[in-house]
Amino acid sequence: MKIDWGALGIVIVVSISASVLFMILLASSIRLLSAAKVRTNQGGSGTVMLSTGYALLALAAFLVLFCIYLIVPQFH
Amino acid sequence: MVIAVILVALIFDFTNGFHDSANAMAGPIATGALKPRTAVIIAAVLNLVGACLSTEVAKTISGGLFDDELITASIILAGLVGAIIWNLLTWLLGLPSSSSHALFGGLIGAVVVGAGFASVNGWVIVSKVLLPAIVAPVVAGVAAALATVLAYRITRRTPSADSKTGFKYGQAFTASLVALAHGTSDGQKTMGVITLVLITANLQASGSGPQPWVILAAGLAIGLGTYSGGWRIMRTLGKGVVEIETQQGAASGAASTATILASAHLGFGLSTTHVATGSILGSGVGRRGAEVRWSVARKMVFAWLLTLPGAGLVGGLAALVANFGTAGVVALLLLLAAACIAIWALSRQHRVSHHNVTESREVLVLAAASQTTYMQDPQVTTTPKPKQKTKKAKAKSAA
Repeated sequence: MKIDWGALGIVIVVSISASVLFMILLASSIRLLSAAKVRTNQGGSGTVMLSTGYALLALAAFLVLFCIYLIVPQFH
Repeated sequence: MVIAVILVALIFDFTNGFHDSANAMAGPIATGALKPRTAVIIAAVLNLVGACLSTEVAKTISGGLFDDELITASIILAGLVGAIIWNLLTWLLGLPSSSSHALFGGLIGAVVVGAGFASVNGWVIVSKVLLPAIVAPVVAGVAAALATVLAYRITRRTPSADSKTGFKYGQAFTASLVALAHGTSDGQKTMGVITLVLITANLQASGSGPQPWVILAAGLAIGLGTYSGGWRIMRTLGKGVVEIETQQGAASGAASTATILASAHLGFGLSTTHVATGSILGSGVGRRGAEVRWSVARKMVFAWLLTLPGAGLVGGLAALVANFGTAGVVALLLLLAAACIAIWALSRQHRVSHHNVTESREVLVLAAASQTTYMQDPQVTTTPKPKQKTKKAKAKSAA
């Protein structure tokens, strides 16, 4: 029996990239939604920013759901 | 006999729940992202859901760690007794130890005493327990640090009110995910033990996974534990002592979840406590100006190192008692009941002080990443109890 370095490597890569990706999506979405609000308050149109913001948020939620989907054996 | 072991395993699961639930929910309660009551209910429900998600860790325990030809139900019982007593003891003393390592330690100790060294698969333990125990907190820490840096950088020009609110939701969300991951990772450990019992009693084929009712029972036990004990710990934790910002909370939650779920999926039996601590420390490193108290971190590592051998010792002693046939098993069960009642009584008797010790240790974990300054007082590290009282008194008078 030897140590399963491959599995350990997967854990390292997946954990870090998943957290970073999630945070990029979340933070960008927060930034866009806030910017949209500011622009609307100034009388401009923030529709594009608003929809992009929500899209990113949805993408973050999808990322989480997809990861959970991956680990549940019943779905495969 | 089998039923007794299963019951004891579920009791262990319960202690696991209330030992660890603060890991997930102390953060959002402290930042106000979630109300205490809502938080424990969410955590308990998601514990149950999480427990039903995967069975890889359970398979590691039931199928790989020990030679199931040589293991008997009474040895497993002894291991569980060791784990429960260690868990309650550390909880009483306020040591931030890992429930998972208590379980592994107890089982390993009992197996070594009861069936000899040959029945332990040493390499599996190194590969699936010891190595992940070292690597996972570091990975979670790095992930949380990177995520925190990104969170602050991306929202640098965003009005702080907006980013606070946004990340508040983010933190509540990721903390819920941590609860889910906790159920997946720790709920499975009990499943694994119950399955191991069923295998040794020849009620189930060797090498097969847990049965549906076992999964459900384990999920319920850990959920209930989270709900009940967690409620008490979190009420003390939620009093505004912990001060991480919502950005850090969201980042550390995401990192913990990713690490725990990824490892659970590959069958590593790692500790939720270690990972949660690692990611909170990481989120402290990631925020400019945040102070990380490495002396505190060192102290915690020491407590972690103690858990495996400590629980192993208790488990081994329990196995010695259990070796005396039926009388020994009955004596062991009585001892366990007596120990539980004694520890519970002690915790009631010194309710405030013991809760404060738990609180201060748990807060040490979190305070390591925050800017609360009260730990800088050198007196505190040696005598946490009186300081905690004044801290609590202050909080009361402030309220």
